Amino acid sequence: MPDDVYLLYIMHNVGAINSNRALSIKEISRWASMEEQGVEENLKRLMENGYAEVNMDSGTKKYFITVDGIRKILSIYS
Amino acid sequence: MLTWEYPPRIVGGISRHCEGLARELVRMGHTVHIVTLEFPGAPPYEERNGVKIHRVPIELGHPNFIVWTLLFNHFMEKKVADISKHEKFDIIHAHDWLVAPVGIISKHYLRIPLISTIHSTEVGRAQGLYSPDSFLIDGFEWWLTYESKRVIVTSYAMKSELEQHFRLPREKVDVAPNGIDVSKYEINVDRDNVKRRLGIDPSERIVLFIGRLVPQKGVEYLIMAAPKIFERHPETRIIVVGNGWIKDRLQGLAYSTGYPHRIMFLGFLSDQDLTELTMSSDVLVIPSVYEPFGIVALEGMAAGVPVVASNVGGLAEIIEHDRTGFLAYKESPDSIAWGVNKILSDPGYAHWLVQNAKRKVYEMYSWKAVARRTVEVYEGAFRE
Repeated sequence: MPDDVYLLYIMHNVGAINSNRALSIKEISRWASMEEQGVEENLKRLMENGYAEVNMDSGTKKYFITVDGIRKILSIYS
Repeated sequence: MLTWEYPPRIVGGISRHCEGLARELVRMGHTVHIVTLEFPGAPPYEERNGVKIHRVPIELGHPNFIVWTLLFNHFMEKKVADISKHEKFDIIHAHDWLVAPVGIISKHYLRIPLISTIHSTEVGRAQGLYSPDSFLIDGFEWWLTYESKRVIVTSYAMKSELEQHFRLPREKVDVAPNGIDVSKYEINVDRDNVKRRLGIDPSERIVLFIGRLVPQKGVEYLIMAAPKIFERHPETRIIVVGNGWIKDRLQGLAYSTGYPHRIMFLGFLSDQDLTELTMSSDVLVIPSVYEPFGIVALEGMAAGVPVVASNVGGLAEIIEHDRTGFLAYKESPDSIAWGVNKILSDPGYAHWLVQNAKRKVYEMYSWKAVARRTVEVYEGAFRE
């Protein structure tokens, strides 16, 4: 599984599927066991493709996956 | 009815199957509760076409998909228990392994028959069991069929697959095909306008693929067929609708054909846009390497689009070669290109296929017929 898809998979499974449940880079890094820099680079790619979005929460950037991102991940198991 | 997907949560064919079946069961006078998962923008509870839809929030996550599945099953179990306090159920109907635990636990808790529909198998989807996850999923599928009073499949190919792989007795497995709402296609569509919206000249022709972008759908064989199609019919576009985890790989493959500008990836489309695009297309290609049923074939046939499909599984049961569609060899770009070119070159042949296909869909694949067959299975299980 490519790194960006793996990240999407982790974010989906831990519940970051809307803006209320968005996660910081630090939290995603911990869940995915991936360096923060790697998380940031992959998130950038996911956002460019419309699979993830970012919002600001008390000055911290928090990320969640979009409906297209959810569909991309669920396609693996259906 | 238990399902992990129900509109607007649409992943594969299960969502549309459950929606069509539930709506028709309600029309027949039954009460149907759907217990499914939350989806952004969809309400936790609603009644649509008389179907009572409960969307369960997943209150706890886990990075492992299988654990995540067990967690959401737990929340679905709580919802079933909650509803059953004021509603007496006669049957539990579970769709695929993803809801196996909630189906099985509810059966024992409520002491009512469990029916399962197996829409596809892991061994088929993955073309073997090559990973620990695949073994686990295969085990869940077997467990669900073992605990079910009756098992429904959508084609004879799937019946045979289940009987062999899970060693199920023949009399336990019933066939009830997928259905389709044909009225969706009884509309007038301005094909030129649909093409213009996509930036396509009205004179160009469209070869369409609809489905999840996963290996079992065989999209790469259509893309590999592209040069042979474009050489004969340069005024043609291939449009790929859908999303999936191999999308990047497929886009790379499209680039390598030398015709990336003629192969468009549109992602997921709304129902309305998809219907209009299907009705504006000249050929629908279903290049699957594994297809338990192939509901997209019915949609194409009802929409009046000639279908080129692989000669596999349920597709080979729906389509009669050279009569209601063109059956291509599995995993063969040459065979796909041959079928597409034949249809694009010969309008009379295309018209013949469409007329026969429409007639077959209207006669055999209405939701009314599917629901009636399903109720027969319910009644059989209830009596036993």
